[in-house]
Amino acid sequence: MLQSKRFEILKERPVNKDGFVTEWPEMGFVAMSSPNDPKPSIKVKDGKIIELDEKKREDFDMLDQFIADYTIDPSSAEEVMKLDSMDISRKLVDINVSRAEILEISKGMTPAKVLEVLNHMNVVEMMMALQKMRARKTPSNQCHVTNTRDNPILMAADAAEAGLYGFDEQETTVGVVRYAPFNALALLVGSQTARGGILTQDSLEEATELRLAMLGLTSYAETISIYGTEPVFIDGDDTPWSKSFLASAYASRGAKMRFTSGTGSEVQMAGAEGKSMLYLEIRCVMMAKGVGVQGLQNGSISCIGIPASVPSGIRAVLAENLATTLFDMEVASGNDQTFSHSEIRRSAKMLCQMLPGTDFIFSGFSAVPNNEDMFAGSNMDSSDLDDYLIIQRDMMVDGGLKPVNEEDVIEVRYQAAKSLQAIFEEFGFPAITDEEVDAATYANSSEDMPQRNVVEDLKAAERILQDGISGFDVALALAHRGYETTAERIFSLLKQRVAGDYLHTSAIINKDNVVVSAVNDENDYKGPGTGYRLSPERWDEIKNIRQAISPRDFD
Amino acid sequence: MPTETFSIEMNMTEIGPAAKGTNPKEVIVAIAPAFGKDMNKTIVGVDHISVLREILSGIEEQGAVPRVIRSMSTADLAFMGHGAAKLSGSGIAIGLQSRGTTVIHQRDLDPLSNFELFPQSPLITLETYRMIGRNAASYALGESPNPVPVVNDQMARPKYQAAAALLYLKECKSLVKNKKPMELKVEFSIKA
Repeated sequence: MLQSKRFEILKERPVNKDGFVTEWPEMGFVAMSSPNDPKPSIKVKDGKIIELDEKKREDFDMLDQFIADYTIDPSSAEEVMKLDSMDISRKLVDINVSRAEILEISKGMTPAKVLEVLNHMNVVEMMMALQKMRARKTPSNQCHVTNTRDNPILMAADAAEAGLYGFDEQETTVGVVRYAPFNALALLVGSQTARGGILTQDSLEEATELRLAMLGLTSYAETISIYGTEPVFIDGDDTPWSKSFLASAYASRGAKMRFTSGTGSEVQMAGAEGKSMLYLEIRCVMMAKGVGVQGLQNGSISCIGIPASVPSGIRAVLAENLATTLFDMEVASGNDQTFSHSEIRRSAKMLCQMLPGTDFIFSGFSAVPNNEDMFAGSNMDSSDLDDYLIIQRDMMVDGGLKPVNEEDVIEVRYQAAKSLQAIFEEFGFPAITDEEVDAATYANSSEDMPQRNVVEDLKAAERILQDGISGFDVALALAHRGYETTAERIFSLLKQRVAGDYLHTSAIINKDNVVVSAVNDENDYKGPGTGYRLSPERWDEIKNIRQAISPRDFD
Repeated sequence: MPTETFSIEMNMTEIGPAAKGTNPKEVIVAIAPAFGKDMNKTIVGVDHISVLREILSGIEEQGAVPRVIRSMSTADLAFMGHGAAKLSGSGIAIGLQSRGTTVIHQRDLDPLSNFELFPQSPLITLETYRMIGRNAASYALGESPNPVPVVNDQMARPKYQAAAALLYLKECKSLVKNKKPMELKVEFSIKA
């Protein structure tokens, strides 16, 4: 056959490097609706749920049992379940129905009911609902700060730069596991150099992650994974009860935490039991609610290639974010993994969360180049920052970031690297040279950094855990070396741990060390003129990009 | 100019449940339930015959003795590999899924640990499969080879994650519950 020249061009387009598959409902390879999804039903006897979504109590698996006993309110469930699903979908979009009213309804819904409600909605309606239902009125953003060599000086400088851009939460992880304490330290020092109150986490194996939080080297945790079917859950040697225990451990030490789940994980592990990806994810959301954690990171996350490959898959990912907010939880809404070669497609997906606003639009945005992103790359990276800032300005929408000056970035990177140099000296860690400080100040990636002695660094990193070097020790060392502002900020973060206010739903801490959460900044959206609106100061910040020319630029 | 065309054919015969090996030079290759049977190509379209042939050749040329078994009750790479390592005379085994994902395992490790893991199946070439065979043989002979270089591509997810899941699901359709691994006799022949 002769080849069409036009098809030849299409074939070469980035989008055609992405993977697409047809639906396979029998194995759960379907986004939002499978013939095997149960129909909504409930029966309550003596205050106990004895039937859930067509299943009798004696047939419950552990997730059914957990959700029936800890999530659904048996006193309102039978009344709520009588409501027409379409009516609930309409209430979600209706600006005259308040968020509080929806939260009352969600208390009595079963997973299959939530699924039915979401299936009635198109993406614009879901975005309208998300705008109303997210818990914190002010939207925000989270970033990844990692590098392939786990270079601590670069990491501190990158964290400081990300802080200037306005990320309220920063997440790191490791290339080499034993570097973990160094990464936590570098992120803490770098972020607090930029501004006080930025929350940081180090995504690791669960016990080490908890240990670093207990030492006060991190201030929250997120990568505590849950799954939507029993076999997949057990595969990870876990149950809803073991995850609840872990959640309590964080709470007992005054550290913020949220769970992680997402569509596609059960299919990937061949444990979907023929159910749709969204149905299984709703079970995760409701399980998280039952545990009592304040929030959830979802939006497929590391399995995004799976929902993204099927029809209505990106809509399902938006639906799962919305489901989280339906249950009055913080949502850190994904956009944190590479899912497409196409710039158009990855922007289109991102707008589903950016335009309505979520508690954390990205979880996170790679503040470093994607090839340095040890979470295997994010949907957007440091080279996309200007695009993102300009989309904020184009749409007059708050995406959580602000334009920065090159001089300010250079200065704050230098200060962060210098601070870490001082800490290393104080603790007797392998010295950070002035050459390294300079390199980190101007670097783009770890290739721009001089090599360090990895063996010596790892020994020092292990000393942090062995000697129990804490956030307080870090603050003392900084104060001792004259870095009083950063020392004070780290100390303030530790005080927050004692006060515990930032354990409230959707908490972030602003530059004045004030907790902003769903308690004191509750989303009260009820249509135009209500809810989150850009303040004149914030709008000025967003407008003021360095690329814009003005009449004054011409003589 | 005339060109010679030929193809290699593979004949696999089940010869009963796989027993524990006694040869200390033995390396078991545990293939997944559908490998070379209900499925015939990896995720990037390389035929299973060539993949298995390279691995077996790698083992042999390094001086070890290959044995092939088929995992029946699990298609999980870690458990296939670890289960086979426990049957292997040397304690070393290779797990191989139909999509091409491969592991080198050892019987004293935890199932989710490994000697070498090749998680990104689309990036494994035939040459790499041969090197995997050689390295497994080296471990069996008590040597400490340099690990086979692993290729990493951050854009592999958008391109292959869904297909990889699809192939794994397809593989799982060939599972037989509670059935022990089967010993296989594998013969290659050249057809002109």
